[in-house]
Amino acid sequence: MTRGLLLFLLLLAGNARADGVLHLYNWNNYIAEETIARFEAQCACRVVQDYYSDNEEMLAKLAAGASGYDIIVPTGNAMESLIRQRALRPLDKSMLPKLKNINPAYLDTAFDPGNQFSVPYAYTLTLIGYNVEKMRELGLPTDTWAVIFEPKYLEKVKGRITVLDSQRELIAAALKYLGYSANDTDEAHWKQARDLIIRAKPYWAAFNASSYIKELTVGDIWLVHGYSNDIFQANLDAQNAGRKFSIASSIPKQGAVLSLDSMVLHKTGPQPDLAHQFINFMLDGKNSAELTNLIGSGNPNLDAMRYIKPEIAQNQAIFPDPQHLANLEMLRDLDRNQRRILSRIWTEIKLR
Amino acid sequence: MRKEAGRRGMGLWVAALAVYAFLYLPLLIVVIYSFNDSRLNAEWVGFTWHWYDVLLHDEDMLAAAGNSLLIALTSSLMTTILGTMAGIAMHRYRLKALTFMVMTPVAMPEILLGVSLLLFFIQILNLTLGMVSIILAHITFSIGFVAIVVRTSLAGMDESIFEAARDCGASPWRTFRHITFPLILPSVVAGGLMAFTLSIDDFVITFFTAGVGVSTLPLRIYSMIKIAVTPEVNAVSTLLMLLTLALIVLASRIAPSVLRFKT
Amino acid sequence: MRDNRSRLSPAARLTKWLVSSPPFAFLLLFFVAPGIIMVFASFRYPGEFGGLAPIIAADPNTLHGFTLETYRFFFGDFIYTEIFAKSFLVALATTLICLIMAYPLALLIARSPKNRRDLMVLLVILPFASNFLIRIYAWMILLGPQAALSLLVNGLLGAFGVAPVRLLFSPFAVLVALVYVHLPFMVLPLYTNLEKHDPALLDAARDLGANAWQRFWRVTFPLSLPGIFSGSTLVFIPVLGMFAIPDILGGTGDMLIGNLIKEQFLGTRDWPFGSTLSIMLTITVLACVWFAARLGGRRRRHA
Repeated sequence: MTRGLLLFLLLLAGNARADGVLHLYNWNNYIAEETIARFEAQCACRVVQDYYSDNEEMLAKLAAGASGYDIIVPTGNAMESLIRQRALRPLDKSMLPKLKNINPAYLDTAFDPGNQFSVPYAYTLTLIGYNVEKMRELGLPTDTWAVIFEPKYLEKVKGRITVLDSQRELIAAALKYLGYSANDTDEAHWKQARDLIIRAKPYWAAFNASSYIKELTVGDIWLVHGYSNDIFQANLDAQNAGRKFSIASSIPKQGAVLSLDSMVLHKTGPQPDLAHQFINFMLDGKNSAELTNLIGSGNPNLDAMRYIKPEIAQNQAIFPDPQHLANLEMLRDLDRNQRRILSRIWTEIKLR
Repeated sequence: MRKEAGRRGMGLWVAALAVYAFLYLPLLIVVIYSFNDSRLNAEWVGFTWHWYDVLLHDEDMLAAAGNSLLIALTSSLMTTILGTMAGIAMHRYRLKALTFMVMTPVAMPEILLGVSLLLFFIQILNLTLGMVSIILAHITFSIGFVAIVVRTSLAGMDESIFEAARDCGASPWRTFRHITFPLILPSVVAGGLMAFTLSIDDFVITFFTAGVGVSTLPLRIYSMIKIAVTPEVNAVSTLLMLLTLALIVLASRIAPSVLRFKT
Repeated sequence: MRDNRSRLSPAARLTKWLVSSPPFAFLLLFFVAPGIIMVFASFRYPGEFGGLAPIIAADPNTLHGFTLETYRFFFGDFIYTEIFAKSFLVALATTLICLIMAYPLALLIARSPKNRRDLMVLLVILPFASNFLIRIYAWMILLGPQAALSLLVNGLLGAFGVAPVRLLFSPFAVLVALVYVHLPFMVLPLYTNLEKHDPALLDAARDLGANAWQRFWRVTFPLSLPGIFSGSTLVFIPVLGMFAIPDILGGTGDMLIGNLIKEQFLGTRDWPFGSTLSIMLTITVLACVWFAARLGGRRRRHA
């Protein structure tokens, strides 16, 4: 007992002695361990990560006083909210020579004009992921949200389908299917989306934030509403485990949500220099490409393209062609009244 | 007549054994799968120490364990002092308001304490959530447990000892130092161990008062369960069970009455 | 030594003050004050980015001050009353199942030889010692679609031509875990009560010709009601505020008040409404405790 205590205390002391620690608040499954290890070796520091699986969760934790993060990787709308709160530290671009690698199409967005605070990291799409063999066997379409929301299709996959446990993402998918903008805030349209979801809900197995990766891999779940990088991961795991099926993803024809995630410096981060070093490191074509090769995220880095595996570069769900790109929307932030109303609609969805 | 009693006795035994199995089987499975050579907690593949190895090299997990330990040590020390005082005050002075304040946090749904402390830390104290806020929250919810143990042991004592001491002219401090304290010491220590266990195990209140910078073992386990389950969770669970078991055995050796939960 | 308030000497008064003020002050600050703050928070506006809007604003056009808005929102729609009712029913079901499972065990322990009782009680408490999350996680494994239990159930269902069911992420999983986590809270008070029963009463009943069934319902059960009430309170109240179990094991419809409160603070960033929900939960809990105490008290008087 006492020896165990002493051992723990020694461990603690060991932790405290490490001079450079970079605190990274990131999406789960959004950076390869290899990449982290390489950065740690290069900077002779330690990277400590905390994870979130929803922007709202991250914003709420920060609003509840979470602090001490050097780098956060929010999606556009969450980043905009952080900027308006004055929670971010402006970037020192002289420390980011590799910023030139970023595709100008992803710079100067409405969320952060002039990129005063943010550097694009990667993007994901929220789309349909599926077990290729099962979908073919059942003769289900995979290019439309109807397969997630229409009972005539759902009957065939009852209990084998999960959707994201995220108010914004699920409502956005329903709005898209109904032909509205993902950013529509008309309460009547939200209610239509709610009714659509409630009608489809009995067929769904669960609202899920991330364990659908494992369930797709194992073959328990055949169809998901999920993030492109998670679905990529599921396929990778399924191939590694020698499963007899593969997992693929597709962008529904009604359009989908694109989330451009950017690296930003939080005001309370104690290591801004180290944070700039990390950002510049991630801007390197090779490191950035690793993100795509290992995680399957979309990549805004032009220099990275030459290191990306060709089969990934040609994947429509990771690098969509211009025609699909036009159909993608980035979510905007909601104000307090909209948040409250959406929360009530969500409660109704869960309860009915 | 005896046959009937025997049949009923059998029925009781069967029901009771089923309940014991219900209580232990799930935990047994957790322990068994911590040695399973597969990422999935499904079929048994083969024996391995691999997940313990992973655990010992998981720096985030070790840091969380370190935090948990530091928080539990600090908060249980403070709780023991405050809880003992509260127990004595409740027994000796019958303060209604104090009794109410000590007992209510024990009986309330934890989430209520968690969110009200969150509001208080942020809105009033303007405190950055982290180690300090967790420690304060843990003291708040565990004072009651120590106070109850101490008060129970005082209630079981013969008042005449204290009266004798006073009649012999001992000051209140001397009475406490030489008579009361040695008598209640076992329950104080047991209460302290209880506070330590409560703190190291707490999830709900820590969840609301931790912010995100400082993680504890239960918070880490929660995020692993929610995000990516591997048998590493089983390994850490098994070790944590052993630790709590050791603490309980220790507490019961020091003050057997703790385990008798006379409510 | 005790109970001479009016005649306390100055030294004794000082001792009293020294002993009781530190815990008093601590709890006043970290238990009573946060409760009061929560009541105030429920009458305020949410901040634009989370937290609370200011009470006094420099710019009179921004939202500030106090409002009944959250209460209007709460009562303006049945949905919130409904979720309270649902949580109430789930807590009730959990309590009943716990009672049915705990009673035989508590009775057996109480009727076992004295030297064996402590061990049997210890065996009930021990699983308690494992972390709450670990106990939930255990059911995640046990109910998983690849686990033996699911295969068995679905094998049986398949034999009868019934479509397979999903055990994990379902109301069933939530209920099982709720019972599992709270069962010891029911066994212990029940045992403490049953242990005190005088066996002579049962002998008397037998002599009067009562069979085993009658002896149980006419003697043992009524006498154990206080134990049932305190056990039920210990199970019912924590279940009312639970969020972790539906969060981890729930399916598409498993939301309790706890989840809703958690969401307001750690999702929607609507602290005033979260406070309102918390206050409503507090009122519900107090009402239940009051009701149980009244019911228990009346029983005791009649017994």
